[in-house]
Amino acid sequence: MIGERPLGLVLLEMILLVLLGPLVTGIIQKIKARLQCRQGAGVVQPYRDLTKLLRKGTVQADTASAFFRFIPVLVLAATVAAGALVPVIRAGPPAVPLGDALLLLGLLALARFLTAIGALDAGGAFGGMGASREMTIAPLVEPVLMMVVFSTAIAAGTTELGALAAHHGTSSIVAWRAADFLGLAAMLLLLPAETGRIPVDNPDTHLELTMLHEGMLLEHSGPGLGCMVLASHMRQIVTLGLVAALFFPAGPADAAGAADLLLGAGVFAAKILVLATYLALVESSYAKLRLFRVPQYLGVGFVCALTALALRIL
Amino acid sequence: MDVDSGPSLMAACYGAGALSSLLLARWSGRFALAVGHLAALAGAVAGVGVSLGVLLGVPGRTLTQPLPVFFPFARLSLSVDGLSAYFLFVISLVAIAAAIYGPAYLRAHSPDAGSARQAAQGFALNVFLGCMAFVCCAGDALTFLFCWEGMTLASYVLVVSDDRDGENARAGLLYMVMAHGGTALLLVAFLALAERSGAFDFAALRMAAGDLDPATRTTLFFLALGGFAVKAGVVPLHVWLPRAHPAAPSHVSALMSGVMLKVAIYGILRFAFDLLAPVAGPLPFSWGWTVLFVGTTSAVLGVLYALQQHDLKRLLAFHSVENIGIILIGVGLAMILWRQEGADGALATLALTAALLHTVNHAAFKGLLFLGAGSVLCRTHVRDMEKLGGLARRMPWTAGLFLLGAIAISALPPLNGFVSEWLTFQALLGGASRFHGPAGLVVVFSAAMLALTGGLAAACFAKAFGVTFLGRPRTSHAEHATEAPPSMIAGMMWLGALCVALGVAPGYAVRLLDAPTAGLLQGPGASAVVTARGPLVLSTALTPTGTAISMTMVAGLLIALAAIAWVLRRGLQPDKWRVVPTWTCGMKPTARFDYTATAFAKPLRLVFAALYHPRREVTRETAGTPYVVQRIHYAGEIVDLAETQIYHRVTREISAFSQAIRARSTGRIYGYIGFVLGALFVALLLFGVRHP
Repeated sequence: MIGERPLGLVLLEMILLVLLGPLVTGIIQKIKARLQCRQGAGVVQPYRDLTKLLRKGTVQADTASAFFRFIPVLVLAATVAAGALVPVIRAGPPAVPLGDALLLLGLLALARFLTAIGALDAGGAFGGMGASREMTIAPLVEPVLMMVVFSTAIAAGTTELGALAAHHGTSSIVAWRAADFLGLAAMLLLLPAETGRIPVDNPDTHLELTMLHEGMLLEHSGPGLGCMVLASHMRQIVTLGLVAALFFPAGPADAAGAADLLLGAGVFAAKILVLATYLALVESSYAKLRLFRVPQYLGVGFVCALTALALRIL
Repeated sequence: MDVDSGPSLMAACYGAGALSSLLLARWSGRFALAVGHLAALAGAVAGVGVSLGVLLGVPGRTLTQPLPVFFPFARLSLSVDGLSAYFLFVISLVAIAAAIYGPAYLRAHSPDAGSARQAAQGFALNVFLGCMAFVCCAGDALTFLFCWEGMTLASYVLVVSDDRDGENARAGLLYMVMAHGGTALLLVAFLALAERSGAFDFAALRMAAGDLDPATRTTLFFLALGGFAVKAGVVPLHVWLPRAHPAAPSHVSALMSGVMLKVAIYGILRFAFDLLAPVAGPLPFSWGWTVLFVGTTSAVLGVLYALQQHDLKRLLAFHSVENIGIILIGVGLAMILWRQEGADGALATLALTAALLHTVNHAAFKGLLFLGAGSVLCRTHVRDMEKLGGLARRMPWTAGLFLLGAIAISALPPLNGFVSEWLTFQALLGGASRFHGPAGLVVVFSAAMLALTGGLAAACFAKAFGVTFLGRPRTSHAEHATEAPPSMIAGMMWLGALCVALGVAPGYAVRLLDAPTAGLLQGPGASAVVTARGPLVLSTALTPTGTAISMTMVAGLLIALAAIAWVLRRGLQPDKWRVVPTWTCGMKPTARFDYTATAFAKPLRLVFAALYHPRREVTRETAGTPYVVQRIHYAGEIVDLAETQIYHRVTREISAFSQAIRARSTGRIYGYIGFVLGALFVALLLFGVRHP
């Protein structure tokens, strides 16, 4: 039988993800710097940036409405709440029902929706452009993500991520079926899109016309910007955690002792590190796609995911 | 008070409202409006009472009441079972909001309206609400058709009631033609059954349907489906909807989009699962697959066309097409799974629960959004989003409630739209694992399309809300807007509260679904399948593992996290707060820097160009040299595929045919006598051959 995760553990995992989120970004930046033969900033740079932003005052556009100051709060809350739905240390459903993969995607979509609303609020052309493009890519990414979740969920009969991971168990990659590989391929194609990285978005620019997510953050400043940046770190680690839960749930499923929990945390960290390295490699070896080529790129992902599902059903 | 007298009370309220609107308008139109809406409010509250009495009362109970004898050949009656009561409940919920909102809206929107118009509006509103309520409570085909027709006529009166420019009259005409085409199909279906049974009451029709051969049964179903699909606005029969709904006063738009379409869903459910269902139980596969296909198409095309609309109310009307599609996905899936799994299968119940829950959810958020659009309209008299903007600072309550509705309709947690879409996804997933081969793939494809629909709806409402309420006002209409009157805000708050309650604690609404689901599918009730683990947990125990989520817990978590994030947001120097103009690369910021709706939707217009066939025209006025541009004219347009590919073609064929006939009409009387004789001869020949 599957071990259940008590609510305390779920919240602990959520806090762990919040604390580690910026580190993943730092590691990706460091790897990218090394690949470009640069020294690069230290891996803790994102933490320094966050504390710097929290110390700053706020500059707000005069056209912004009363909603504007709530946007960072709600975006951060929705993204962190999504983090509570990802199994980190242990597999198994939470003891108190909380949410499943669909709710996780829903919360991320809520954060994105609110970000887009915030971008339109200040009334600058850059925010509108970022929002428009982000809301163009998102509806194309979501069905594919949903298909990938379904392709694993259909075998397990549940969409709850902890239960899904537990159902997968510690099966090695040798026991994988073709559907698993195709699903993973689709997921790896989608990862840059969902985490806002090259070849879909470019996290390093603020003012080029290539930007999607960064364009939406332009009018935020100080602690508000800090919340938005923390939310995007969180979104990244949650997405990586989703991939790990769907495809590499190799954590002890019924661990209880402190040593087992530590082991679980270590295994999770290793999985995230591998996926982060993958992202850094992709970012360093590809150029950004033209906006109107992105649907084709995502179409490849859709075909992979649909084929994976078809293989499961047939 | 006893539930049995409820329907009479409802009829009395709506009747009194209709009459008093007509009579009192002689003295004061304003007073007539107030009394008419008050009576409608009383009727709606009575409706809620009746429906809750039936839904929460003795299980399986049907409230029947004979009506006075109008015709010597038919017994008329009302019969309120679980399904009727549930739809009555949905109608009454939105009717309450509309009745609270209506008087202030009509006064603010058209202050110069004459008392005749106000009398007509009060009268038609009460007739409309009464007929909608009694369509669902009808116990026989005649009452059903009478009320159905009354509903159409009353809504027509309301659509054309505030005519300013003739556009409304055209929309009303199209609505009338299409609605009557649909009613004709329904008439055929009902009369074919009535002819076999010899009576009009549903019990007799049910008996008669039991003896039908499969081919006739299926033909009758498709006739009825066609008839109801016109009213429901299913693609490609939707063309009247985006024209007629925006033309009506906004609280009537809320009723038409929020609940009148649901009456058609009620008709489909009543016909398919109750009247026409074979005695042996499950329905033929062809019905369910058709409904699933039609639903998926409507959902995707509805939202895609909604995305490119710039008229706020028209955009909302297209979203109704989308949401009817989502409901039909659930209905179709329930039909298929009922056939596949048999009566005690929990999956069919899950699918039907999803469809019915989406019915009330859509009624709540679409009602809210139309009322919000109405507030904007009555303060600015502009429906074009491009001419609005900046309203969030001027109408904060309206903006906040509209945002709530936008989040709900985009199927985002923790509001109600997410709940019913989650259930639909679970039903689709369960369905996909039951069917092997291509059938399963179709179900999965439906799920993918539903996901696409959700994402596009979010994009569309980011646009609608952002362009209408945020940024700078683009015209003086928007600049001088003020907040709507309190009674209008109250009407919206009622629906907003419903959106939150249905999203955060959906289990209590699922309890109301026990009677309709158990009644239609003769299987387990909704709460046995969906909220087996308590009303605060949605669970699907379809497999040993199952899935359980708790919207209540997630909403609580969100609130707690938002409180923490608020502290973080204040930062270490909360007093350092400067307000400055938006940076626009050094130029003086004006409203022209704001992204417009056309610009916002442009990337998606290009991505889905195959469906839109976008056309654009840009002309430049230059001052002699091409480098000095004085003015640029931009015109863009997209087409509705259903209109160009089907309706325009049919129109062309008909006019070509008419031209051909015209060439043969000489204008001389003996020519026409010759035609008549020829027709008679051909008819005699045909009938003589068939009946020798």
